[in-house]
Parts: sequence; C-alpha cells; structure tokens
Amino acid sequence: MDKLPLMEATDIHKWYGRIHAVNGVSFTINRGEILGLIGDNGAGKSSLLKVLSGYHHQDRGEIFIEGEKVNIASPADARELGIETVYQERALVDSMSLARNFYMGREPVGYIGFLDKRKMAECLAVVQKLGLSINSPDYLVGNLSGGQRQGVAIGRAIYFKAKLVLLDEPTTALSVKEVHKVLDLVMEFKEANISVIFITHNLQHVYDIADRFLVLENGKKVKDIEKDATSVQDLTRAVIGDINA
Amino acid sequence: MNEKNSPKVVNIENKSLFGRIGAIREIIIFGLTIALFIVFFFTTKGIMFSIASLKIIFVAVSELGLAAIGVTMLMISGEFDLSVGSISAMGALIAAKLYQFGLNPFLTLVIALILGVVLGGFNGFITVKFKLPSFIVTLATMIGYRGLIYVITEGVPIGFRVFQTHPVFHKFLAGELWAIPVPLIWLVIATTIVALILNYHRFGNHIFAVGGNKETARAMGINTDKIKIICFMVAGMLAALTGVIRLTRVRSFHSLQGDQIALLAIAAAVIGGTLLTGGVGTIIGAVLGTIVIVLVEYGLIMSGIGAYMYNVVLGGVIIVVVILNNVIEQRRK
Repeated sequence: MDKLPLMEATDIHKWYGRIHAVNGVSFTINRGEILGLIGDNGAGKSSLLKVLSGYHHQDRGEIFIEGEKVNIASPADARELGIETVYQERALVDSMSLARNFYMGREPVGYIGFLDKRKMAECLAVVQKLGLSINSPDYLVGNLSGGQRQGVAIGRAIYFKAKLVLLDEPTTALSVKEVHKVLDLVMEFKEANISVIFITHNLQHVYDIADRFLVLENGKKVKDIEKDATSVQDLTRAVIGDINA
Repeated sequence: MNEKNSPKVVNIENKSLFGRIGAIREIIIFGLTIALFIVFFFTTKGIMFSIASLKIIFVAVSELGLAAIGVTMLMISGEFDLSVGSISAMGALIAAKLYQFGLNPFLTLVIALILGVVLGGFNGFITVKFKLPSFIVTLATMIGYRGLIYVITEGVPIGFRVFQTHPVFHKFLAGELWAIPVPLIWLVIATTIVALILNYHRFGNHIFAVGGNKETARAMGINTDKIKIICFMVAGMLAALTGVIRLTRVRSFHSLQGDQIALLAIAAAVIGGTLLTGGVGTIIGAVLGTIVIVLVEYGLIMSGIGAYMYNVVLGGVIIVVVILNNVIEQRRK
C-alpha cells in the first residue's frame, strides 16, 4: 500500500515480571480495515490490546498513528488519539444510566463543568439507530442484555468518531442470535471507515467479517495474512500450532 | 428521541438520572421519617413538635448530617471513612488551640477546614497508592488521629468562649437566623452543593463511575485515584466543619468529641439507600437517614423511654431498612 496505514506498531514487547507476554510483535492496520487478532488463551492478545488501549505501556517498541509516533500512556491518551476500546466485561457501569455511561469521561458540559443533559440525550438516537430497543437516556444499563451492552459501547465509539476500535472478545459471552447482531454492528464501523481490531479466540465469529488476520502464539506473531490468501483450516492450524512439533 | 419513529422500543419508566431504584429507596426512607414523626408525636404528647424541641433536633441533624453527606459521597465512590469522627475532633481541637493562642476564630475555622482536607487526603492517599481497603486504613487513622488528640490535650478540656469575644463568629456557626438554627442552614447549603455535583456535574458522573466499576471508569479515561482522593478530602473537610460547629455550640473541646460520628454517618448513608459496594446512593437519602437516627434518639428520650433504648432501636431500624433495600434490589433482578 502506498497510502500511510492508520496505525503501525513495530517490535512491541511487554513483560509481566518474567513472563514475556508480547514478544516483538509488529503490524499495521489501514483505514476501514477489520483485523482479526486471533490466538489461543495466553497467546498475548489481551496484553497487546492493553498496550494499544493505554492500560499498560509497552516495555519496548513504537507505535505510529498516521505516520506520527505516539505515546499511549493512559486510557485517556488512547481516547485522545481516537483509539476506542470496547471491553467484554467492563464496557459499561451497570449501576448507571445509558446517558451517563455513553458520555463517561467525555461528558458534554456547560457552565463550570455542569452536565449538558440535553446534549447527553443525543445518545438515545445513536443506539436506536443501531437497532437497540431502549427508549430513554436514563435507562439503567444493568438491565440490558450482553449484546445490547456491546451495542451501546459500539455506538459510543461511532459517535465519538473513533479512528480505531479495539474489540475485546465482543462475542464470547453472547447467545448465537446476539453474536450475529454484534457482527452486524461491527460492519457499521467499516461503513464509517473506522478501523477495527477484533480480538477473539473464536475464529468462526471473526472469519466472515475480517479483512485480514493476525495470529499470535506465545506472545509472537505467527501469521499476518489477508483473508483472500488463507482459509479457515489454514488459520485454525496456525492458532492451534503444529501438533507434531 | 423521537419515539414515533421507533415504535418497537419497549416502554420503560425511568424518570431521572438517579434511576428508579434510588427513587423507590427515597420513598421508603421518606415514609419512615414521616411515620417516626407521627409515632413520636403521640408518644411524646406533642412535645416533639414544639419549636424548642425541633430546634434541638435539627441542630443535631445538622451536625451529624454534615458528616454524613461527606461520607455518603465517599461511599458512592466506593470507599469508607471510619475516621471522620476523629477528623472532626482534630478540626475542633486545632480551632480551640489556635483560639486559645489568640487567633481570630474565623481564621481558626479556615485552618481547621484545611486540616480536615489534609487528614482526609492522607486517608485517600494511603488507600489508593498502596491499594489498601479504606476500611482498614481509616480504622487505623481513626485510632491514630484520636490518639493524637489525647497526646495534645492530655484529656483536659479546652474552652472556646467565642460567644463572648467574637459574637459574630458564634452567630455564624451556631446562632440563629430568623429563628432557624444556623447549622441547619449550613447543612442545607452543603447538601445542595454536594447533591448538585453528584447529579448534575461531570465530577459527580465520575464519582458514580469510579464507585460503580473502577475498571470501567479507568478504561473510560477517568483518573480514579484522583476522584477518590478528592472524595476523601471533601469528607474530611465536612467533618472538620461539623467539629468546629459543635465546638462553637458547646463552647469547649472535649477529647471524646465526635467519637460516634463515623458509625452514625455510615448508618445514615445506609438507611438512606447508599450501598456499601459503591456506585449507588443519594445525598437526600443520607440527610433523611440522619433525620431518622436523630428522631429515634430524641423521640425515645422525649417519650420517657430512656436513652438506653436508643441504640437498641436504632440497630433494629438499620437492619429493617437494609432488608427492605435488599428486597428492592432482588425484585429489580
């Protein structure tokens, strides 16, 4: 590609004590691309995600966004750079309303920091447009289903014009019906030209929608391949590893 | 937004950003308050509704309530402060000591408030930086701060006779304005400010977020440590304020001052529907909880049942209210 990639990460390393969780991973992602980040449990997917989302800082390696070197020191930094993370478990606070969750950390405010509640009501239209049946910005998030919760988090990323969305196992705890719903929602990102890194250990969920796959094993990148050049069998083998080795 | 365009949406009543749960809890506690007033009206043969009694009751409500709203805000952020009683006494002590040395009482009040912020901030700093349960940290500082008081006073009371030397200061904290006790005015002001911040300010949104789910709040870019430390500071400052108000009213400092405040303030928060787990609670609930506690105390005394029954009844009230809150929570799920 002659166009600059949206994000480029080079030689990322992350240690937790003596565990080398991410071992020299380099990759790029282009605008509007859906990258499936796959690997077995403990392959380093979550650790890489935490580096990109500002939760942990890499011990070595560099990250470039649109060609410019960036330092992602905190989750707030990541959001500032247009990187939005949708966590499986901790995307939303159950005891709070839709509006309060939607704008959490980025509240629209008026006079001396007081919330602009009229502006905050806008979130309702966003989630309704995604097909979620919620009818009040004051609706308590704890009453939503797992799929609806993902929907709210995805709507939030779209609304705040994220450039890159990191989805952390977004389909794991969901029913089959809800998985399809979430996969549909992920396609909304593509339409909005938002790049997605879809982290999962379930290849079936990501295969249809991803453009490219990154396979990790023991913290190392073992495969980086366009969908056209691979197959489910091929990727499955990469994830499981060579049994004969 | 436009409900006509989305006929599929399920209709769920939910009127305020507090959520329905808070509203139900407040109705229960409000009902309880009214019920107590009615019961005690009869058992005290109406004495409870005399202006003189109401003034006494609302001064007590104000002194406990100021501490309770700080504690409630802190509990919503997911932390505890058992040391607010000791902090309130530390505030009163420094005010009394400095006044003794000839400092203007208004200045001593400011210094006492700053001390409250510092001591609360210390609790918060130790809690978040060392990732310790605030229950343990503030248990330790409750004991330690109180110990410091005895070290300084050696148990000897210190006079604070500002009503003679600085009557304006006395009026400012413990006087009356149009027959309304001034402490009650302070309570109303503090309640209004804290409630507005919790429900309508960005900072309040962050407090609920941090207490509701700290990891989520962090992932959303909120500096959770900072939020918690500020809540500790506010709790400390309000505790110091109530300490100096009491000092001004009773005109001398005793080393035991405020030793009941922390547990009663937490009880007030809990009666008012604040969850120990954080993320849920209201300031109005805490004030109503305070009124319940004080009503039980004075109602029993004025009914001639005696002060000893007070703790027994209060314990019962706390358990009943918590069970009710729990039932509501289960129904919701």
